[in-house]
Amino acid sequence: MLILALWETAYRVIGWKPWLFPAPSHVLDALLGLMNIHTGFGEPISAHWPRVILEPGQHVRLLSPWWGSPLMKAILVSGVRLLEGFAISVALGAILGLLMWRFIELDRFLGPLLLGLQTLPSVCWVPLAILTLGINEWGILFVLIMGSFSAIALVLRDGLRNIPPLYPRAGMMMGARGWRLYYYVLLPASLPALASSLRTGFSFAWRSLMGAELIFVVDKWRGLGFLLEAGREFSDVAQVVAVMIVMVVIGMLADRWLFAIVQRRVQTRFGLAT
Amino acid sequence: MRANLVSIKAIEPTPSEDDALPQLHADQRIANASGDGSSGRGRLVLKNVSKNFPGSTVHALRDVDLVCDPGEFVVVVGPSGCGKSTLLNMAAGMIKPDNGTVSLDNQPIRAPGPERAMVFQDHGLFPWLTAAQNIEFGLKMAGVPRSDRAARVDAALKLVHLAPKRDLLIHELSGGMRQRVAIARALVMEPAVLLMDEPFAALDAQTRTLLHEQLQELWVRTRKTILFVTHSVGEAVRLADRIIVLHAHPGRIRREIKVDLAHPRNFDSADITQLVRTVRKEIEDEVNRVNAEMAETYWKPQAPGDLGADPGVMGDGI
Ligand SMILES: Nc1ncnc2c1ncn2[C@@H]1O[C@H](COP(=O)(O)OP(=O)(O)O)[C@@H](O)[C@H]1O
Ligand SMILES: [Mg+2]
Repeated sequence: MLILALWETAYRVIGWKPWLFPAPSHVLDALLGLMNIHTGFGEPISAHWPRVILEPGQHVRLLSPWWGSPLMKAILVSGVRLLEGFAISVALGAILGLLMWRFIELDRFLGPLLLGLQTLPSVCWVPLAILTLGINEWGILFVLIMGSFSAIALVLRDGLRNIPPLYPRAGMMMGARGWRLYYYVLLPASLPALASSLRTGFSFAWRSLMGAELIFVVDKWRGLGFLLEAGREFSDVAQVVAVMIVMVVIGMLADRWLFAIVQRRVQTRFGLAT
Repeated sequence: MRANLVSIKAIEPTPSEDDALPQLHADQRIANASGDGSSGRGRLVLKNVSKNFPGSTVHALRDVDLVCDPGEFVVVVGPSGCGKSTLLNMAAGMIKPDNGTVSLDNQPIRAPGPERAMVFQDHGLFPWLTAAQNIEFGLKMAGVPRSDRAARVDAALKLVHLAPKRDLLIHELSGGMRQRVAIARALVMEPAVLLMDEPFAALDAQTRTLLHEQLQELWVRTRKTILFVTHSVGEAVRLADRIIVLHAHPGRIRREIKVDLAHPRNFDSADITQLVRTVRKEIEDEVNRVNAEMAETYWKPQAPGDLGADPGVMGDGI
């Protein structure tokens, strides 16, 4: 907060050029502008600050509501993509993680491969996606999935390996065998592993999606990455920063408020929380 | 009433004689208290079993013969690493013997199952279930209808005096309560034998004493066959009808001691204290000898001189 205040003051005193490096007030204007709320926090202080004087014709845009704004649409589009891609990624990662845990031979072969894939930045999948799938939804989902499923598989495998062997033994002693052993013992026993693999997988998925949207421009559906790229195209530094802030905030909220809480709950149930 | 309450026998490790011996004991046994027809159930026979884990030079167990009669409380005592858990895991069906057979009521044991319920040292309760749900688990697996399950779980909880704790999660229970839940979880399945692998080893002395009393009370009431494994001589004397002393490397039965004291045992009586002391002395000598031999084979290359003086080895596991 203090840094922001100093930054803003410095800007106003020295008079930096806003199109090279924006002040917080400009970013705020851009952010609200993307939500169809037009403000002039970045304007020189005057009697009507921070309201903007409308030029003729602008009031039409002003009338469209905030939920129909480019930012809200972009969040919705990115959100839907994330849900679709993440669901596929989780399914794929969970199956692979389970198989790798169950069959050592498979793990010997797949483990190092997935570890390698995990270190590959997900944007590296973009050229391949463009060439094989084309510039469309599938290309974006492909990048998202490739960027996150390996992390999910690896974290799940490691978590499953840490299940105390006493649990399946106790389960068998009580007559659980076959699918019942999996469903009633190994599945619940793997919940902590599952929760942490979802959390890790999500951050990978979000990053991959933003990267993919930056490059893929699917005309009908414009996600957050598109807004960022649009900001660059119009040399609107304030918009670029504003969109980046939105990305960070969404990623953080999902991690802190969704996955962290799920994980915490599982750990509390298991008596693992400190 | 009962005259000489303790009889101590040394057993030659010749498998052929062992067969007749437990039969004899069975005749002397107090008749099965509950005449509910289950009296013939729970005869656990380990015949000539050996186990050598891959990569190990000595047998974990060699030529072990052990018969637990229906309703008998057998305690196996031996130092750490002498194969007690291996023995129990074979009875449970978790480990297959290299040689020999394990059977329960003339049925060969092939896999773990609810008729041979096990109580583990680290309880092995499921942390995602409550105490009551843990107890219910075995009934659910056996396909017992929900309505019947509730009553049986309640009865089992009462049996171990844990009715008020039924809805707590496992990590919310004390160590002693966890073991009681583990015992209830085993008993609720109405097993033919109860296998207990050092179930009280991790508890403090006071809790252990309390659980000894409760276990005896339970055993008197249910008359299950119990095969109990421990490294503690005191625990063995306290609980057993018959004590089996296990020798280590390779694990073999070294000695068998019959304890003909009435259950539940009241340790305040001077008489009984005296008897306990006698038996304890016997076993301690035996265990010490086993330990000394182990120490000797282990230390010989380095220090052949002062073996007996090493307290860390001598007192270990007693
Ligand atoms: N799964 C195993 N693989 C190899 N060796 C084992 C295994 N389990 C036990 N052993 C060995 O067998 C011996 C007996 O072990 P155990 O039955 O656990 O002894 P106890 O329960 O009396 O302490 C030990 O020497 C131990 O190292
Ligand atoms: Mg053991």
